[in-house]
Amino acid sequence: MKRLPLVLIIGLVIGTLALSVGAATLKIGITKIVEHPALDAVEQGVIDALTAAGYERDVDVEYLLASAQGDFSVAMSIAQNFLDQGVDLIVAIATPTAQAAVEVFRGTGIPIIYAAVTDPVGSELVLSATDPSGNENVTGVSDMIPVAAHLRLLLDLSPDIARVGMIYNPGEANSALLTDMAIAAAVDIGLEIITATADSTANVQMAAQSLVGRVDAFYVTTDNTVVSAIDSVLAASEEAGVPFLMADPTSIAHATLAAGFDYYEHGLTAGALVLQVLSGTMPNEIPVTYQPNAEIHLNLDLAAMIGFEFPVSIIEQAAAILYGGTIFSK
Amino acid sequence: MVSLLIHAVEQGLAYGIAALGVFLTYRILKFPDLTVDGSFVTGAAVASVLLVRTGIDPFTVLLVAFAAGSLAGLITGLLNTRLGITNLLAGVLTMIMLYSINLRIMGRPNLSLLRASTATRIVSAAWSPLGSLAVLVFIGLLTVAIKLGLDYFLRTEVGFALRATGDSEQMITAQGVSVNTMKLLGLALSNGLVAMSGALVSQYSGFADVGMGIGTIVTGLAAVIIGGALIRSNRVGLMTLSVLVGSIIYRVAVSLALRYGYVIGFQASDLKLITSLLVIIALVVPYLRERRLRKVQSC
Repeated sequence: MKRLPLVLIIGLVIGTLALSVGAATLKIGITKIVEHPALDAVEQGVIDALTAAGYERDVDVEYLLASAQGDFSVAMSIAQNFLDQGVDLIVAIATPTAQAAVEVFRGTGIPIIYAAVTDPVGSELVLSATDPSGNENVTGVSDMIPVAAHLRLLLDLSPDIARVGMIYNPGEANSALLTDMAIAAAVDIGLEIITATADSTANVQMAAQSLVGRVDAFYVTTDNTVVSAIDSVLAASEEAGVPFLMADPTSIAHATLAAGFDYYEHGLTAGALVLQVLSGTMPNEIPVTYQPNAEIHLNLDLAAMIGFEFPVSIIEQAAAILYGGTIFSK
Repeated sequence: MVSLLIHAVEQGLAYGIAALGVFLTYRILKFPDLTVDGSFVTGAAVASVLLVRTGIDPFTVLLVAFAAGSLAGLITGLLNTRLGITNLLAGVLTMIMLYSINLRIMGRPNLSLLRASTATRIVSAAWSPLGSLAVLVFIGLLTVAIKLGLDYFLRTEVGFALRATGDSEQMITAQGVSVNTMKLLGLALSNGLVAMSGALVSQYSGFADVGMGIGTIVTGLAAVIIGGALIRSNRVGLMTLSVLVGSIIYRVAVSLALRYGYVIGFQASDLKLITSLLVIIALVVPYLRERRLRKVQSC
């Protein structure tokens, strides 16, 4: 027992040596705030984009993958660890991890590519979305979703939809911003937004139930808290017999319809930015990128359960349809 | 490696102020106070709003944060002493209320300080001869000053009464001191320290986020317990020192897990497991050594 610390130290030293012998030339640190299907998909997308471009993992590029596991202080430690290990580039997934990376790598000139950040200007990661010249070593891709377009989609769905119920966690920066945007956009479109808040996954069901009978449709954006309990929202929408629009197509099995982009695609877009920087473009030459390729996915099985029929115009627009438990993609 | 350790000690000291607050309620007052997960954010929220909206200097902000945290502690204290709500529940209720209040203070869930003039940024510019040690020296001086101030307070007459309240409420009542007043004082002081820590950490990290307080009680307790296992003493100065040492050890453990964890085959998702294992080693090694010594003596 007395030897335990010694054994540990020797193990660490040998491990470090073994690693430094086989070290690849390029070192990329990828940091995310928590394990989450969407954030994990972004991480995978970045790696796959680089692999596809010829950067073979552990040969041409070494990845340092880290998750703060929801602890904000660890996000800071991860960034400091990346600095200590001399990474050549950082990919920061989600707002707080990106903020921690920007603070730690201030003045180093090492490029930071952020992803899954809704409002990069509001969170002060960059100075300007359109003019990148003052953005120093930071660029990235925003996952801002077009809420106004989503609300118009609901209007196209049925002329009977006038009141839209939104459930969100007021503590999530991205989600609070999207909800505010939806409330502002609804006025122009002629819809009314009725909100219910859930500060934890356990409270999502109550929030969703509180909207039953008061709304003609449910709409949930990329709110991590609500998405974790998405089936409670689905249950409420079925009880109310109204459609449920989800702003993330990966959740199509749990909603009547979904519009938006796949987070794996988002990772590929971030990976393309990484490649651009690796090929010599400075981050302060690349303006904020917004995720393109929004798609509409329809779930005919769940629509049938509430007796809802999609208009032909919507079905024609759909990129994928879930019918009889199978997804048919165009 | 050295720079990583410097950063770990910086964090250990910055969070050590919160750990001193947890020590005050948990060890001295024997009042398990969960308010801290909320009051840590209250400190960060007050600090960041003032820094972004007003021209206040980032050092005065720490004192304002202390005052705001003390108010939060008073709420828990009043719920417990005047309205008879049990200590655990009183803390939980205040913590939940603070979630909404913190959102109100900030006006949004995440407030960036990346372009504000923060204490750590001013210090690293002003003390540039110290190089990468400037921030460490600043946080170290601040934390040690707070520790010495707390030591002094706990040796005053009121401080003695506070310590006695945790040991025996009957005895302190017999001495003619109000137990309730002592609890209010201890909770206000504790949450003031926690909020000050939050204000410092938000400036250090470059942002305040309404979720950043989650786990304050856990890391605070870890610091108190690790420190207590390494330095066993009833002397006030050594007890508060042990809390800071415990906090630094915890942060160094996290940094080592991040730096070397994957070398021995761990994945990013194993982080919490490794940090907990390192804490267990820190706790068990002195325990085993002591048991071994006792065995030798009894032979």
